[in-house]
Amino acid sequence: MEERRHTSLHYEQELQEVKNALIYLGGLTEKAIQTAMRALTERNTELARQVIREDDEINKMDTEIEERCIRILALRQPAAIDLRFITTAIKISGHLERIGDMAVNIAEKAIQLNEEPQLKPYIDLPRMAGLVEEMIRDALDAMIRADLQKADKVRQTEQGVDDLNEQIFRELLTFMMEDSKNIHRSLLIMQVSKNLERIADHTKGVADMVTYMLTGKNVRHGESKTSGDPSE
Amino acid sequence: MNKNLFWKIFFSYLVVICLSFFVLDLLFRDEVKNVLTSQIETEMLSAAKLIELAPREKLLQQVAQMAQITRSRITLIDSRGRVFADTEKDIARLDNHFNRPEVQEARLKGVGKSVRFSDSLDIDMLYVAVAVRGGDAITGYVRLARPLHQVQTVIEKVYQSIFFAIVIVAAVSLLMALFISYRLAEPIKAMERFTERLRQGEPVGTMILYTADETKKLADNINFLVEELRDKIRIAGEEKSKLMTALTSITEGVLILGEQGVIEFASPVLAEMFSAQYDDICGKTLLETFRSVDLQKAYAEFKNTATTLSREIVLGDAEPVIMNISISAVHGHPEGEKTMIVFHDVTRLKKLEKIKTDFVANVTHEIKTPLTAIIGYLETLKSGAIENVEETKRFLDIILRQAERLNRLVDDLLMISNLEMKEMKLNFEKVSLPSAVEAVVSLVEAKAASKKIIIYNNLKKNLAPIRADRDKLTQILVNVLDNAVKFTPDGGSVFIDALTTEQEVVVSIRDTGIGVPADEIQRLGERFYRVDRSRSRELGGTGLGLSIVKHLMIAHGGKMEIESRLGHGTKVSLFFPRLNKGESS
Repeated sequence: MEERRHTSLHYEQELQEVKNALIYLGGLTEKAIQTAMRALTERNTELARQVIREDDEINKMDTEIEERCIRILALRQPAAIDLRFITTAIKISGHLERIGDMAVNIAEKAIQLNEEPQLKPYIDLPRMAGLVEEMIRDALDAMIRADLQKADKVRQTEQGVDDLNEQIFRELLTFMMEDSKNIHRSLLIMQVSKNLERIADHTKGVADMVTYMLTGKNVRHGESKTSGDPSE
Repeated sequence: MNKNLFWKIFFSYLVVICLSFFVLDLLFRDEVKNVLTSQIETEMLSAAKLIELAPREKLLQQVAQMAQITRSRITLIDSRGRVFADTEKDIARLDNHFNRPEVQEARLKGVGKSVRFSDSLDIDMLYVAVAVRGGDAITGYVRLARPLHQVQTVIEKVYQSIFFAIVIVAAVSLLMALFISYRLAEPIKAMERFTERLRQGEPVGTMILYTADETKKLADNINFLVEELRDKIRIAGEEKSKLMTALTSITEGVLILGEQGVIEFASPVLAEMFSAQYDDICGKTLLETFRSVDLQKAYAEFKNTATTLSREIVLGDAEPVIMNISISAVHGHPEGEKTMIVFHDVTRLKKLEKIKTDFVANVTHEIKTPLTAIIGYLETLKSGAIENVEETKRFLDIILRQAERLNRLVDDLLMISNLEMKEMKLNFEKVSLPSAVEAVVSLVEAKAASKKIIIYNNLKKNLAPIRADRDKLTQILVNVLDNAVKFTPDGGSVFIDALTTEQEVVVSIRDTGIGVPADEIQRLGERFYRVDRSRSRELGGTGLGLSIVKHLMIAHGGKMEIESRLGHGTKVSLFFPRLNKGESS
């Protein structure tokens, strides 16, 4: 968004506030994923509890953004790019909130996993988390800097996350076949991996919305190759 | 040429000229008319009187002639007003003239005159009448009439000359206006050009004007202002460069935020710190740039409380940087409070802190391990194993070994702490390396032989002497050689070589051992750092050996370097400074 396009300075400020709130929410979810993954890899249950505690703030922020957007819609009747910005802001905020919930899921699984001995050193999972974090970073960057290339990059990275999910699945399958005692932990790890994969889907959703906001073109279902349904 | 100024001057001249001629006209127009009319009148009166004197009989015959001479229309009127002769009109068609004003006047005064507009001729006519007296009674009137052509012509002529005068004076005033406006405008123009150049930021010198009037004073003032402005700019530039130098040279990053939370200034250090992540952070908000929830929270808290606060936050994702930030208000901005955030990178400090706490944890762990073993065996002995002589002997051996290990550990720790506190006194003397190495080799030879490791000592006897503490040198060599033997599998070999350069003697101890992964070589000098924790503890090390060597080498004024390839062996090079000729004692 270019600066000072509106005659009403107050309107301009309201839009900027929504944008800031979105970035803030993005920052919160980014941190939630990071902390959840640290809780898992460092086997730190306290960190996991922190993620669960802080999810409240994410939910509050989501509602707040929605309310702000509805207010602007009702009072300002935005048009063109502003209208797209407001409507996408509502959707992006929803995606981010769901990502926060999934970070909580991961944290919960981490607590359970930390109670048992480590099944195997995590290698692919942190790599997957790294990819997902990068995707979120890029998606938010795309939104802040109006950068279409970053949004495209997010869509490309999503495939890599899917592949890793597949790989982890196969690896865990062999663990489970080896020893039935491994099944519980393997399933938990698999859920973590699945959650990460879904976070990637949501992140792609954010990137799609950014593309829509910037160009007005809907890329959601055209070139998408997702296996999972982000809205589930 | 200033068109505006010129027109103003010229126009005002023109107005003055026209006005003066108008007044002139008002004053003299009637005057001229009256003078001329009365002149004509007198002339006609005398003519009328002359006619009156002429004998009546001849008058009628000569009247036409007379009219020609006097250039007037002559009308002869009897006492009743009837016209009985007229030089221009048919008398039959003329009415009674008795009521004409000039006739009436002549009847009363003897002479009469009147100016009337003649419809037939479309011009003012002057009528003059003289009463003809026969005795006392008036017998008739002689009336002369003449159109006032002459007066009209004269007035027209006067107007003409006035018009010519206006044209000439206007032409002259045009020239004068040109000249004066040029004289006036030229300095003003020069000043205008000068200030224009100044406004566009071109370098301007001093303005010189060749006039002595008010413009000169103005030019002087402008020069003065320019000089002052230049001074102010220079001072501001100097201040700015001072500030920038200060901001660039300090390691802290400085950020100044405007009222709306938008970044207005970022010190180069900070900009560089985030140059990879953000191209230009000015004009963005804190959230947009750093996207750090913690930073935003700290900023929001500062905005609420308006008191300076400092906090530790983690920035960056790929390579986290721990920053100690302090937020404070920048005062003295009337258009709104600005905020300054100072970033202090404490990543290294934090790392050091972590190393310290790790050290304490390591030390307790290292001490605890042998102590647990000793206590365990002692308890077993106490609870009855002491009866069994065989067992007792074995246990005591173990206890002794563990106690020795504990002792070694404490010794090493003491030495490290002394070295780090720089409290260790080194007794420097002239030492011959080959003999020292030989002594050490004989110490580890037994251990090497048990692992079928052959030590090749390639040191030449005539190697340059070095300045070292003999005991500490022995310890260095023991530690390194012992490591070499320890980490070399059975049947391997250890090579000891030396190299002399101008400043130093380099002893290298190379083994064919297990080697060290490349990315861990850096950490080998760290206390308690072990490449393979479980294995090397089995081999009886304290984890302090190389750390001691590193510190001792530094205390000797030299250094230690390690090269290694995993699975191919390790080469430790010890750089000793050469003994100077002067201090051979």
